[in-house]
Amino acid sequence: MWAKTITGNFAGMIHGLNASQLTDQVLQRSKRMILDTLGVGLLGSSTEVCHRVIHYSKIYSANTSSTVWGHSDVRLPPLYAAFANGVAVHSMDFDDTWHPATHPSGTVLPSLVALSGTLSEKKKFSGLDLLLAFNVGIEVQGRLLRFSSEAHNIPKRFHPPSVVGTMGSAAAVAKLLAFDQFKCKEALAIAASYAGAPMANAATQTKPLHIGNAARHGLEAACLASLGLQGNKQILDMESGLGAFFGDYTPQDLPPLQSYSWLLDQQDVAIKRFPAHLGTHWVADAASSVRKHLVGSDDTLPVSKIKKITLKVPEAQYVNRSFPNSEHEARHSLQFAACTALLDGSISVQSFNHQNIFRPELKELLCKTQVEHPSDNKPSFESLYCEVSITLQDGDVFSERCDTFYGHWRKPLTKEDLEKKFRSNASGVLSLEATEGIIETVNHLEEVEDCVVLSEFLKGTQ
Amino acid sequence: MMILKCIKRNTVTSSFASFIHGVRPEHLSTVVRHRSKRMILDSIGVGLVGSTTRVFNIALQYCQLYSSNPISSVYGRKGLKLSPTLAAFANGVAAHSMDFDDTWHPATHPSGAVLPALLSASQMLPAGSKPSGADFLVAFNVGIEVQGRLMHFSNEAHNIPKRFHPPSVVGTMGSAAATAKLLSLNESQCAHALAIAASLAGAPMANAATQVKPLHIGNAACLGFQAALLAARGMEASPFILDDIPGCAGFNVFYGDYQPKPLALPANNHKFLLEKQDIAFKRFPAHLGMHWVVDAALSVRNMFVNYYHSFSPSLIRAIVLRIPVSKYINRPFPESEHEARHSFQFNACTALLDGEVGISSYTDSSIHRHELMELLAKVVVEHPEDNVANFDKMYGEVALILENGDVLTGRCDTFYGHWRKPLSRESLLKKFRSNASYVFPENQVNTIITTVENMEDLPDSSQLASSL
Repeated sequence: MWAKTITGNFAGMIHGLNASQLTDQVLQRSKRMILDTLGVGLLGSSTEVCHRVIHYSKIYSANTSSTVWGHSDVRLPPLYAAFANGVAVHSMDFDDTWHPATHPSGTVLPSLVALSGTLSEKKKFSGLDLLLAFNVGIEVQGRLLRFSSEAHNIPKRFHPPSVVGTMGSAAAVAKLLAFDQFKCKEALAIAASYAGAPMANAATQTKPLHIGNAARHGLEAACLASLGLQGNKQILDMESGLGAFFGDYTPQDLPPLQSYSWLLDQQDVAIKRFPAHLGTHWVADAASSVRKHLVGSDDTLPVSKIKKITLKVPEAQYVNRSFPNSEHEARHSLQFAACTALLDGSISVQSFNHQNIFRPELKELLCKTQVEHPSDNKPSFESLYCEVSITLQDGDVFSERCDTFYGHWRKPLTKEDLEKKFRSNASGVLSLEATEGIIETVNHLEEVEDCVVLSEFLKGTQ
Repeated sequence: MMILKCIKRNTVTSSFASFIHGVRPEHLSTVVRHRSKRMILDSIGVGLVGSTTRVFNIALQYCQLYSSNPISSVYGRKGLKLSPTLAAFANGVAAHSMDFDDTWHPATHPSGAVLPALLSASQMLPAGSKPSGADFLVAFNVGIEVQGRLMHFSNEAHNIPKRFHPPSVVGTMGSAAATAKLLSLNESQCAHALAIAASLAGAPMANAATQVKPLHIGNAACLGFQAALLAARGMEASPFILDDIPGCAGFNVFYGDYQPKPLALPANNHKFLLEKQDIAFKRFPAHLGMHWVVDAALSVRNMFVNYYHSFSPSLIRAIVLRIPVSKYINRPFPESEHEARHSFQFNACTALLDGEVGISSYTDSSIHRHELMELLAKVVVEHPEDNVANFDKMYGEVALILENGDVLTGRCDTFYGHWRKPLSRESLLKKFRSNASYVFPENQVNTIITTVENMEDLPDSSQLASSL
């Protein structure tokens, strides 16, 4: 039954997978991802970048409208709700990360929530519909990333969510709207023409737009496909198709539908504990550990006693920043993470506010920090490590190493800690009732009859 | 404590921002003004005829889901207005819907990505601050110039593209630059507009020769415009987007090789590329490469008719096409109108059979004609080493090997419409009239011609958009 082309394969998969094929582990992991993504989106709904994007999106209106998370006073057409909410999700770099590297959920969930929350009497989507579509969107991204060995390392050229995230969003929407195989194929083909944004905009205010755009452009591609637009039916097979975004591209067939194995089953995501690039999480854990050797009974770091701080990290240009100048740069600076963790013991949402970024004690530490790239430290989220060494003025050296931070897929957050993160994120924006309502709804998502309840909770109270 | 945000000086990116911000009408030479007005007229014409296509209808249907702020006109749809960026999208799709729009060297379709955005933007500005025709011309040329300059940063860009469809790369940047200019963004905002646009650029070549290809231009116009609007609202992005920073790809992500250089400011003897390098206008709606083989085919057909008094396919044993290597335009048996516009074989055979190629050559019935299929079956393709896949250097040769052993060969090095042999004013107007008449009566067609030809004297350029 398999199609002759890989693109056809994918269309068959998107069209043919059904809810009964979702394993328990996949269900559990994906619900965790959904909860985490909603939380970071709610927190992010109050950021400047999100406000700018909402302001911009208000120039569009349509007959159907969807919730903008955390903004009870604004409704936008689904496309722009997906855009704004996608931006919110990635606005603080707090969202999930997978291997091979991408931020999978933020490009898919906003599109699905926007569609399922349009208050249209004609069509309602159950929690199971959402879960299945969500997993299709995640799966497509994972499969595409595996077509390139370049994708296994921290990216240098295209920001992965902008490439595979757009495709995932298109696939997820195609699934939710029950497209036939042909339309699934066209949705993928059209989406490819929207994919791709360069890494240079990472660590700037525009980076969150990569996720927002992936969500909305995937949705747009699916809409255009449903109106009959057609593209290249071998878009995933060709080097001049999706291959254009990769240096090496070797597409492969998918496993047979009957005994489909989900990537999420084999490979979990990492959930962040604080809003910064994943690489900083290794650094923070190592720095916190080495700090314990240095602090006195008052738990303060003796900054003046420190002569040198050495970070042994993999080579990744866009997170190697000695003196970040903005919140976005701070979230993409291994040095900043190390020094903040050394000073404060841990990193939190507040670590990235203006005062904390520019405090003199931090600057002092940053001046003493240097970075080394041991050849065995590969720039891959699967294998990298971080070692933080402090050399004191008196010559003593203390080092600690982190191979796997808490939250990484090898050491996943407990259910309690995941929900704690969600509550902390949502509480600034939602009532207690809505916060608990979302936790409850997502925990039992497969039993929910109509997902519009999620959108109702997400509105917020302002 | 206020942290001053300084514009990063001495970068390629900042030089582009300074150029966009600083250029004025008086910096446009006569040649540049003249050539750009021809481009504007041609682009409008192809957009108007393009508004009758199926792909345009799909795009328009899609845009009509969004109703807010309907102030910008849509080609050929009197009374219908859309939100500005959506109008830019729809009109951009129209412009490229039949592959009838202009082509430049290095290769891209420059006008379709820029003009629709400017037309929409001109209608967006409030009554007291409408841009003049002179302002419009400057913004248009900014959009073209930025595209050309960016392509010159890469040797790869000089040849027919293989990975990314150039309009989706440089066109988006051009649209951002042009709209930033028209909307009078400050220098810093101009830089951010370019950087935001880079994150919206780039579509793969695989969708060329499909119905999605026109969206590459529609999206370039629309998304570049969006980037400018976001920058106007304070969105910020990488200040080094056009510079070459090792280990962290910016705009160079779209190219294998990339050597950027700063732009000279207009006051310091900046020369527009359009001055040195003119545009090619197409005579029929197909990929530029087709124009060489069609002219070669027409010439050999003439020879044939001279000897044998009429064109008789049965006397032909084989047809040899000598063309450059380019996979996406080498199609022995195209199945759709989009594929037909991207097929050396199809265009050569149509020219041989009909003695001309025009809009109607790409209808379903024309594509699937029995006589054409028979002729296509006789085609053999050769790729001489000296025939490079480059619009400045390629040639087309069509050889008819007859049953009786005779060989007739026609060759075209420079087709009529190419920048080395530009269309005369009469030919350009003829093309425009033919296109526009699909949608407008004669007097309206004439009005548009007059408006564009006297662009720099127009006090309110939004009148052009409203007339469409």
